[in-house]
Amino acid sequence: MHREIKVSNYLLAALSALALVLLSLPLSAPVRPFKPGVVYLFNPVVYYGAKGAQRLANAPPGLARLLRADLDNVQLQAQLREALWQKSELEALRTENRRLAQALGLTPPKGYVPLWADIMERDPLHWYNSIMISAGQQQGVTLNAPVFGDQDGTLVAVGRITEVRRDSALVLLVTDEASSGAAYLSTSAVEGLVQGQGGPRLRMNYLPSEVSLSTGDLVYTSPTSATFPGEILLGHVMAINPRDPFLTFQSVEVRPAADAAALSYVMVLRPAGAAEWAAAAAEAAAVRPLEKLPLLPPVRKPGVPAAAPQVKRSSGTAPAGDDEEAGR
Amino acid sequence: MNFLKGAVLFLAAALLQWWWSTRLAFRGLSPQVLLVLTVAMAARLGPNSGMGYGFLWGLFLDILQPELFGGNAFVLMLVGYGTGALRRQIDVLEVVSQYMIVFFMTWGSFLLYGVLGAIFAKQFLWVGWPAFLFDPLYNCLLVPLAALACAWLRVR
Repeated sequence: MHREIKVSNYLLAALSALALVLLSLPLSAPVRPFKPGVVYLFNPVVYYGAKGAQRLANAPPGLARLLRADLDNVQLQAQLREALWQKSELEALRTENRRLAQALGLTPPKGYVPLWADIMERDPLHWYNSIMISAGQQQGVTLNAPVFGDQDGTLVAVGRITEVRRDSALVLLVTDEASSGAAYLSTSAVEGLVQGQGGPRLRMNYLPSEVSLSTGDLVYTSPTSATFPGEILLGHVMAINPRDPFLTFQSVEVRPAADAAALSYVMVLRPAGAAEWAAAAAEAAAVRPLEKLPLLPPVRKPGVPAAAPQVKRSSGTAPAGDDEEAGR
Repeated sequence: MNFLKGAVLFLAAALLQWWWSTRLAFRGLSPQVLLVLTVAMAARLGPNSGMGYGFLWGLFLDILQPELFGGNAFVLMLVGYGTGALRRQIDVLEVVSQYMIVFFMTWGSFLLYGVLGAIFAKQFLWVGWPAFLFDPLYNCLLVPLAALACAWLRVR
């Protein structure tokens, strides 16, 4: 304890002497360099302290900029989402415009009114059998109404309506096994029966055996068809089946003009005057069950156009009542 | 307390004193952080350490002021010595004791600095009545903070 007191007294004397020398002889030779030395030692504290304080002072504006950038980011992301939505809407409108422009160029057969409908559902299990469209009884779709597609600006046969619901309808595709219809070849103008195979191809039967056939021939619906109006493209001949010596006719394989997998909308034909009936039916549907609705006027074939090519009937091999469903 | 901790405490205290007196001074009043810490160090480590820290912190204050180079060093060194000497008389680690020591050491340091000015600068360096009256109270507010800093650095 006494030693500590002694040391502290010595230290007090020494530091006091030093301080008094600094105080009393500020301009003396030993003191003059001492002060710059102390400044050199301690000045970084002040210098870096000032720099740190300056940086801290700049922090609030930096933070404000960061917050503004975050707000801008949120706003720009919302604008981007809106722009993307507008872009997709624009694409949809463009597609719709293209479809409508093409529809303007498509002339429906005389006596029919066109009705455009989107494809609502395509069942993978029945890819070549049926599709569901977004038009039904409310829109004036009738049973057995022919359905067409647009293939590069040309009206092509797709199928016919087999089931009508309130706002939708089921279309039996021409490729379905139960689908068949009278058709003729463009080069020889011989008529036969086009039948679906449940796959991507059609088969055209009952062609006269003496007629020479060639691949690439276009196949059109016959004016005698009960379902389709005449002169509608069905497809083209892609293969000629080997002739069976026991049969009196020959057959060809036909690739359908309408690619059902690529269609996104179709045109349903309804007889002129059916619109008024549809309005009445919609009104009646509100109070009566569907099966008790008034019967639709029968769909009649529009007749042979003036420019239609001469159609030869095959020699009695084709069934008289075509367009009948095989199993449905 | 090892040398590194002592250096950190010395620099941090010097920086805090400079920052407070230049940025947070209210109507010319700012606490004397270095005086409070000198008292705290001397109370915990004894008069020798108190004098050492006080002398160096005083030199730091002297380079910030144009007059009396060595005056603050002398004053704070005496504050450290005085506090260390009081350890033998009272329990300086008690809070109330520290408040009292800081309070009266502040006044003492003001007067001593003024006297040094009268001797070596031919004028009594009076700090002004506001500082003379309120700075001791201001310094007393820092006593708990100084105790916390010493506890954080495990100064015994």
